[in-house]
Amino acid sequence: MSSSTPPELPLTGADCFLRAFDDEVRRTGRASHASQLVLRLGPGFDVDAFQALIARVTQAHPLMHAPIRRKLGVGPPAYRMAAADTTTVPPVELHAAETGDALPELFFRRLNEPFDAGRGRLLRFDLVPREAGRMDLAMTWLHMLFDGAGSEAFVEWLEAVHRGRSPDELPPDEAPGVAPGMPEGLGARERGRRAMSWQRWMTSMAQPRPRSLAGPLRRLPQALRYDVLTLPEEETGRVVERARQKAGFLTPMLFYLACAIRGHDAVFRERKLDPGAYVVPLPVNMRPKGSEHALFRTRVSLLWFRVLPEVVRDFDALIADLKAQRLAAIKAGQIENGVIAMDYARHAPMRLYAHMARRAMQGELCSFFFAFTGEFAGGIEAFLGAPIENAFHAPPVPTSPGSSAAMSLRGGRFNATHVHQRGLFAPAELALFRRTLRDDLLGEG
Amino acid sequence: MSDWTLEKLTDRVFEILRDEILEATEDFTPASNLVESGLDSLAVTQLMLSIEESTGVWVDESLLTPENLESARTLAACVHEQLDAS
Repeated sequence: MSSSTPPELPLTGADCFLRAFDDEVRRTGRASHASQLVLRLGPGFDVDAFQALIARVTQAHPLMHAPIRRKLGVGPPAYRMAAADTTTVPPVELHAAETGDALPELFFRRLNEPFDAGRGRLLRFDLVPREAGRMDLAMTWLHMLFDGAGSEAFVEWLEAVHRGRSPDELPPDEAPGVAPGMPEGLGARERGRRAMSWQRWMTSMAQPRPRSLAGPLRRLPQALRYDVLTLPEEETGRVVERARQKAGFLTPMLFYLACAIRGHDAVFRERKLDPGAYVVPLPVNMRPKGSEHALFRTRVSLLWFRVLPEVVRDFDALIADLKAQRLAAIKAGQIENGVIAMDYARHAPMRLYAHMARRAMQGELCSFFFAFTGEFAGGIEAFLGAPIENAFHAPPVPTSPGSSAAMSLRGGRFNATHVHQRGLFAPAELALFRRTLRDDLLGEG
Repeated sequence: MSDWTLEKLTDRVFEILRDEILEATEDFTPASNLVESGLDSLAVTQLMLSIEESTGVWVDESLLTPENLESARTLAACVHEQLDAS
């Protein structure tokens, strides 16, 4: 353990948001709110070195297996580093080899197996050898442990330690007592006002009431799986340029969000269902400048978008609407307000938190989940001796809304991961979603 | 006609970037590359809001090209053109 390791590290407001949904998934879906990333590796991966590496890094960062609890059952929950079980490390399992190019079914199962935050069981690795010495690696973790950017920084950090850096060099957090993105110098009254402003803004999203494809929350075993649309380099180049032209070179995420909305809209129209309004949260990375490589804890705020179905049918109008909403929300300070509101909610019991989040939308949380994370682990070409052939995220989604689209780039190729609850999409609807998404990405159809 | 000369505007854009947006280091200058200095989508929108507060001009997002965001100097030139046209 590093000498800079604090005995405990409080969860961020965003962590507690995820923890509330982990609790909900545990109660209603008998699983965890777990995230996964997949590295598809070429030949040369050193399994023994990887197992030793995880043990070394875990010793240096006890947060990786620290229990998450509230102090005496009250107050904000925290990682209890001093209570971490240093005799165990996150599991690294080498499985039987598989043939073909399909992702191992095991990876999907892992998304639906519960972790145990109270005992510090937060993370696991699965290795599946492929033909010609290749390897698929899945890292699955309780989502509050890392956000998307943190998980990629963690992968890069593992590679750096493998190449000789000391695992002690990186502190677990640069400022443990500060909520990432929290505005400085605000009094309690102003903080309360801004938290209420965010709550009112969220509530305003529910007019008309959004409807997810899964419908409001029901008690249903979580059974997530995912499909990955990977575009070759030539098509990826066209998609990136089209995103730049349509949404601007600094805000391509709005282009990708528009594509995801239209993919879902195609399924709603096929079912002849009224979606109400499309309401979608967009995670915003709140890492301060200079701490881009902060690993643990989720450091995001949420920008919420609400789009009416009639706007969705016109692609350019949809992007213009998303741009206008983004600007208005930033002008109104809603990104910072979200950090303040989520920080307050750390004190709420998890069930109350989840209830509050769903109450405004009458049992729904949103229409679907979405994330665009840019270049995946762009700082490394290889991992433990093997070239990274492709890499992508498979983020979690509760059984309601039951559908999530995560997009990223790796090595000149675009990946769109569609995570969905089993049975929510008929095979023809999955094909329709995929075709619509692809057509909009490329400007075809 | 605006009171903002290109030089004065460059100084103001540089100050906003250095003091409010980028938490820049000592080697940050009006010629430094903004994206390499950490300007991202959120930061650029906050920058546009601060420029609007100072000058009263809103720079249309379509003008935020890689060329115009090359440095504080090129961005100031872009804003100055907008001011002249307004």
